[in-house]
Amino acid sequence: MDFLTTFTELGHNLGLGFSTAALPVNLAFCFIGVLLGTLIGVLPGIGPTATIAMLLPITFNFEPATSLIMLAGIYYGAQYGGSTTAILINLPGESSSAVTAIDGYQMAKQGRAGPALATAALGSFFAGTVATILIALFAPPLTDLALKFGPAEYFSLMMLGLVASVALASGSVLKALAMVVLGLLLGLIGSDVNTGAQRYTLGFLELADGLNFVAVAVGVFGIAEILRNLEDESDREVMVKKVTNLWPSKEDFRQMIAPVLRGTALGSVLGILPGGGAILSSFAAYTVEKKISKTPERFGKGAIEGVAAPESANNAGAQTSFIPMLTLGIPANPVMALMIGAMIIQGIQPGPNVATEKPELFWGVIASMWIGNLMLVLLNLPLIGLWVRLLTVPYTVLFPAIIAFCAIGVYSVNSNSFDLYAVSAFGFLGYLLVKLECEPAPLLLGFVLGPMLEENLRRAMTISRGDWTVFFTKPLSLTLLLMAAAVLAIVFLPSVRKKREEVFVEEG
Amino acid sequence: MLKSFAAAAAALIVASGFGQAQAQDYPSRPITMIVPFSAGGPTDTVTRLVAEAMGKDLGQQIVVENVGGAGGTLGAGRVAKADKDGYTLLLHHIGMATSATLYRKLPYDTLNAFDYVGLVTDVPMTLVARSDFEPKDLKGLIEYVKTNKDKVTYANAGVGAASHLCGMLFMSKIETPLTTVPYKGTGPAMTDLVGKQVDFMCDQTTNTTNQIKSGKIKAYVTTTKQRVASLPDIPTAEEAGLPGFEVGIWHGIYAPKGTSPEIIKKLTASLQKALKDPTVVQRFADLGTQPSSEADATPDALKAKLTSEIDRWAPVIKAAGVYAD
Amino acid sequence: MQINVKDAASGAIFILIAAWFAFETQELQVGTPLRMGPGFFPLLLAGVLALLGAIILVKGVLKGKRSEMTGVPWRGGFLILLAPIVFGFVVRGFAPLSIPPLGLVPAVALAILISSFASRRTTVFMAVTMTVLLTIFCLAVFQKLLGLPIPPFAGPLEWLNPYVDAAFAPFGAAWAALKSVFGG
Repeated sequence: MDFLTTFTELGHNLGLGFSTAALPVNLAFCFIGVLLGTLIGVLPGIGPTATIAMLLPITFNFEPATSLIMLAGIYYGAQYGGSTTAILINLPGESSSAVTAIDGYQMAKQGRAGPALATAALGSFFAGTVATILIALFAPPLTDLALKFGPAEYFSLMMLGLVASVALASGSVLKALAMVVLGLLLGLIGSDVNTGAQRYTLGFLELADGLNFVAVAVGVFGIAEILRNLEDESDREVMVKKVTNLWPSKEDFRQMIAPVLRGTALGSVLGILPGGGAILSSFAAYTVEKKISKTPERFGKGAIEGVAAPESANNAGAQTSFIPMLTLGIPANPVMALMIGAMIIQGIQPGPNVATEKPELFWGVIASMWIGNLMLVLLNLPLIGLWVRLLTVPYTVLFPAIIAFCAIGVYSVNSNSFDLYAVSAFGFLGYLLVKLECEPAPLLLGFVLGPMLEENLRRAMTISRGDWTVFFTKPLSLTLLLMAAAVLAIVFLPSVRKKREEVFVEEG
Repeated sequence: MLKSFAAAAAALIVASGFGQAQAQDYPSRPITMIVPFSAGGPTDTVTRLVAEAMGKDLGQQIVVENVGGAGGTLGAGRVAKADKDGYTLLLHHIGMATSATLYRKLPYDTLNAFDYVGLVTDVPMTLVARSDFEPKDLKGLIEYVKTNKDKVTYANAGVGAASHLCGMLFMSKIETPLTTVPYKGTGPAMTDLVGKQVDFMCDQTTNTTNQIKSGKIKAYVTTTKQRVASLPDIPTAEEAGLPGFEVGIWHGIYAPKGTSPEIIKKLTASLQKALKDPTVVQRFADLGTQPSSEADATPDALKAKLTSEIDRWAPVIKAAGVYAD
Repeated sequence: MQINVKDAASGAIFILIAAWFAFETQELQVGTPLRMGPGFFPLLLAGVLALLGAIILVKGVLKGKRSEMTGVPWRGGFLILLAPIVFGFVVRGFAPLSIPPLGLVPAVALAILISSFASRRTTVFMAVTMTVLLTIFCLAVFQKLLGLPIPPFAGPLEWLNPYVDAAFAPFGAAWAALKSVFGG
């Protein structure tokens, strides 16, 4: 490849993009989008999909670029805002922030909500910048890579993700595994994709499309956490009084640099895969950090790396998941599907031609991503003080508000009362399991991956005519499975060694 | 206690005369149009375009509400049970007819639970394949599929989806059952077709036009009577030698049964106006379809279409032996 | 011998859940590994879950350490779990109890009121104040600002909507002005 031409072209394209994105109207709506997104993300329960669907009509009167820039702003704004609630009140709005909640909430409990939020903001900004450059430079070749992923490769990737997920647990590995499997089973509730058969729906039509993720997440994390806080109401105030510094210390910065870099790399790569790679990115980043850390025992107890890595990975993945949408017109997730709908309503046919036919739109949106990320960090760093003060709101006031927001948010996804009953049911189950020291994060990962794992397994088997070796004969798939085996070995070997050491100690 | 509360409240409405909306000043508040699919899909897009135009004409906003789930039957069921005041409408596609057979127990009676406003559009479908699939034309495809029926894979977007219906019809026309690879939605199915993981599928022009034009996939035929304006080089199935292979994803607007005829009249007139709105016409053209004619955008035409389509698909679905419940 | 109640109980719960899934698989076709039916994968998973549950249970019984259990907030828990359900009943109506759909405002207000009593420290005055303020906040943010498609009042309370609109009219005018400046 001739790098000089590539870079000249890139300069030209980005110049075009920034001249579009920097128009006052676009800057204004980028800001409104980011602001709205942050607010929405912070309100527990209500997610970007529902919001974008609700705000879509407003954008009808805008120019196409303006409308897409604002919608994109809502999307990554909400991604960011979601981590804020995960950190402050242990309430992740989507699967990615479920990971952030693990160590972020512990940091908040130790009075380090400020550094946790700042880490999330800075990590996200760095990841967003890198991902934007990646999109600008390599979107088409990356798309080709993504298309090499067939059902067999996805199955192997999910297996790797599941095996790695036991690292999410800070307690018993066995219980974490059981929670993953339970999550997988819960994920299978609903219509079978292959035959349409209803599975475990107990005759409820509302379950035909499966349990609503937001309902499960709000239940097992949010409601369960409220119940736990009600056990001893004085507990909470101790935590608030301890709020010390708002800004990460030098030591914090030193600790977060490498995890941010690794998270960004991992998230950028996984985000490109339209079949659910982005979902894995934050889980994978967390696992990697815990595995290579010299002090893995700090994870789950407020390790700053446990916030930095998944937040960077998540934001990088959110950004690069635009690649299949922009280059192929294929949505990688519901939000991207909505963006495509918005483009069609604006009279733009999403597809491989957008970059050539509407370069100012294509590059304008890409440039606006970076501007939006910059705005996000500028907007959120000053807000950290406000969020932290939110923790000083008496809990007796805070939790009814959480319940109200969650109820509205969950209802807004499908306009379905059934989902609210599910919130209560999973709140109960979540509390029960937390009482029994079973952690909810692996359950959520299993829940998200369950349907994908099964679908890809069956799809791969159908395409290969029932030939199991397909998972080993495809090089990409084989590589992923070997990595899964390696992770499994790493997970169990040190614990074996430790056990033996313990035994020796006891004997000695 | 709740019962008596409800009764008291009901008495209050009757006394205050606020209950039933008056037909002459309809609409006096925003109307909800339920689309029984998740936001962002082709049907959602069609709904939002039409809702925006109709809302302008009626002088009240039409709020699009996505009530997805169970192949569109949850949303349809919601409207069937809604107040008959013209403030809750349904925009549904061909699935309205096919779910009558695909679901053996529906929470509503398809033919008797709704009043009809009119047809909106009839989206054509295309038979498409991965770009390096061997057969050159439809004849070649049929031959190839028949001799290699153990090797060929057909993708669809799940039970009851447009691509599933089209595939069933294709298989029944060529009398060859094929290995179907189901996906959850059109997006992932298209990804795997572009990525050459599966061989061919049949989908709405809304999803395929751009991929065909850019050469990422290739098209054999359209499933329409006439060629599709945005894809002038693609022959119709009849031209290519498979008469009767016609599927269109038609969309219609419904109201709960018992809505006042005056309100329906207003809605039909507004729909007809919306379908002539230049933006709507242009956007529909971009999607590879066109608005229904004024004669089709009527209650009678929609009712006739629904009835005939139920009869047409019942045997095809029963023969395939696939049910969604 | 000491039994780890937490391990033993969670193991037992996993086994029970696995058994339920396995039982429900009866109606589904299991198929063969080569032609998997809808029941194949769930049955496999149920087996794995039961196995894991059994190991956890046995380990908990055989070599558990005693574990501390904190108290359960029965009253608070009940109210917290009740609140979303009541919200669901009221917002969409619930025929078996003859509850008509009443709209967003009553649903939110009831959910807040019920959940606020979950804390023993909440007085009636606090609860009512919170309910009023938070309900107005939710109405303004979700319904007015974000355009959530749930009417403030519905069914028998629909006649209250004009008053809500009137109260928010000044904000609506400001928003429209803003929109015309930018959206043009």
